[in-house]
Amino acid sequence: MTLIKSLVASTAAAMALALAAPSEAFAEPPETDYEPPRMPDGTPDMQGYWTNASLTTLEKPDNLPVVVPEKQAMAMAGMMEASEKAANQPTDPDAPALEQGGDGVGGYNRFWMDFGSSLAKVRGEYRSTWIVDPSDGKLPYTEEGRKLAEDRLAEQRNNYDNPEVRAAAERCTVGFGSTGGPPMLNVLYNNNYQFVQAPDKVAILVEMNHQTRMIRLNEEHRPKVMDQWLGDSVGHWDGDTLVVETTNFEPDISLRAATRHRVYLSPDAKVTEHFTRISDEEIFYEFWVDDPDVYSQTWKGEMVLRKTEGPIYEYACHEANYSLPGILAGARREEREAAKTGGSE
Amino acid sequence: MRNLLLAAGAASFLTACTAVSADTPPASTLSNGAPAETGQEMEVSQNLSGVWQVLNTANHDVEAHDGRHAYQLRAGPEGPVPAKNVLAMGAVGAVPPGPSIIKGRETLPYLPGGEDTRAENVATWAENDPEANCYLPGVPRATYLPYPFEIIQNDDQMLIVYEYANAVRNVFLEDPGEAPVDSWMGQSYGYWEGETFVIEVTGLNGSSWLDRAGNHYSSAAKVTERYTRTGPHHIDYTATIEDPETFSEPVTLEMTLYRLVGEDARIEDFNCVPFVEEKLYGHLRKEPLE
Repeated sequence: MTLIKSLVASTAAAMALALAAPSEAFAEPPETDYEPPRMPDGTPDMQGYWTNASLTTLEKPDNLPVVVPEKQAMAMAGMMEASEKAANQPTDPDAPALEQGGDGVGGYNRFWMDFGSSLAKVRGEYRSTWIVDPSDGKLPYTEEGRKLAEDRLAEQRNNYDNPEVRAAAERCTVGFGSTGGPPMLNVLYNNNYQFVQAPDKVAILVEMNHQTRMIRLNEEHRPKVMDQWLGDSVGHWDGDTLVVETTNFEPDISLRAATRHRVYLSPDAKVTEHFTRISDEEIFYEFWVDDPDVYSQTWKGEMVLRKTEGPIYEYACHEANYSLPGILAGARREEREAAKTGGSE
Repeated sequence: MRNLLLAAGAASFLTACTAVSADTPPASTLSNGAPAETGQEMEVSQNLSGVWQVLNTANHDVEAHDGRHAYQLRAGPEGPVPAKNVLAMGAVGAVPPGPSIIKGRETLPYLPGGEDTRAENVATWAENDPEANCYLPGVPRATYLPYPFEIIQNDDQMLIVYEYANAVRNVFLEDPGEAPVDSWMGQSYGYWEGETFVIEVTGLNGSSWLDRAGNHYSSAAKVTERYTRTGPHHIDYTATIEDPETFSEPVTLEMTLYRLVGEDARIEDFNCVPFVEEKLYGHLRKEPLE
């Protein structure tokens, strides 16, 4: 993320900052003459592979306006392309070894990342944030809500005592952050979804981690005791829009922290999603989060899911999870060494 | 409670062609098999959509087997007894008897050494059975795990979503060519052959077992599944394993898939990863449990 932050900062600094609210913040999907392909039962056909990879983030970065001028958006995309090209150059075989104990090793090289190459164009505007309400592009936490999020983040950052306190993605219970959602948010890589439809069901296969949202149409929610990692989703068609309501989230997924977003949803949060196909290449994706324990208002996001080629490969995470035992073992070793040298923790 | 429609009556749905006297709707309209009016003549369409589950002992042991004390045993004074690590399970951890599900055979035709590998798997069952570690189950074991799975199929897309471990298969309906990489669930390519939907599974990574009895196959295996609807609520299922590194001849497993019916005919979220953390990482806790 350091790379992206610095890019954003440098482009932002070069341009005038003008705060602008996205137009039509509360509007329904954009009006189009588009006639979607249809399933045999007449409902719009949204089947296939879609992606939300983008430089746009959930919350507005401090150094960008909500609506980014086209020239600035193009400059960001250009810098991203150049940096990717540079990062993908072959490694210099004569480069010296990195300094022991330094922080220059990094977790991944650029090849593994697939976070998108430009800001998203939503309603004809380049947006820095998915959030359209509130209009400042920031999550409207209550004081208590912010504390819940920050306390959990601090625990995740500092507590290595037990596997259960680590982040869901480290445990391989689900993918990073809110990639599975809902809301389905973009992360560093594997931002791919496959939609498959039946008259009484819409399945959304989330690449990371091979989880499938089984959206049951015209049905009731499960009993409260049966919480789910991606929540319990029921839906219906409202004209050509698929409406999905999700609640009853597994408590361990409340904090969804990834490189591109950090958001807290309580287990009883209600997420309402609207999926509307607006062109051959796009699904207009709106989501509302209603969580009065955490937020001072229902907040709304708008996103465009873009058609992508696919296919989706198996993201088998748990089966080869050497990270989690490595993290825990590292903490145990640190404790042993501290005890040996007589230092306190 | 889930209602499994039992095999009795399956024969009555069968006719020479595909028309059946159905007491439930065609699977082409609903994927949950919700009940509908009785007495209607309808076609068993070329569609496998629905929630399905087996009723057999294949996951215990695909071979013909007598009941056993446990999946993992040790020698006792008068014969085998449960191994220490599974002893507390009592009858819940015992293995129910069952017939072979291998077509035309009672046992698997292992090449030399195959039986030894199986014996090692049994001796380390609790530690190494992929199911006990919540690992993706592979094909064909995913089909006969004791959990339902849901098929969503239409002319353009097909998913098989398994309740166990959030396992899923994207079944390609056009030939995708050679699998680019090996994986737990392999690459699936499906097509209709008359009334039978055939899925060719390649690119399996060889880490999967066939059952809790340690039966195994390798990454050289090609698995060909055949799904044939025999009525609104039944599928004849076979899985042929061609694995020249493990078996002296192709092996075909055969069984019936039953449709789950009723309002609660659905798969649940059995994300078992958290349930094996104590097993896999408990020793790395700051204060390991006694």
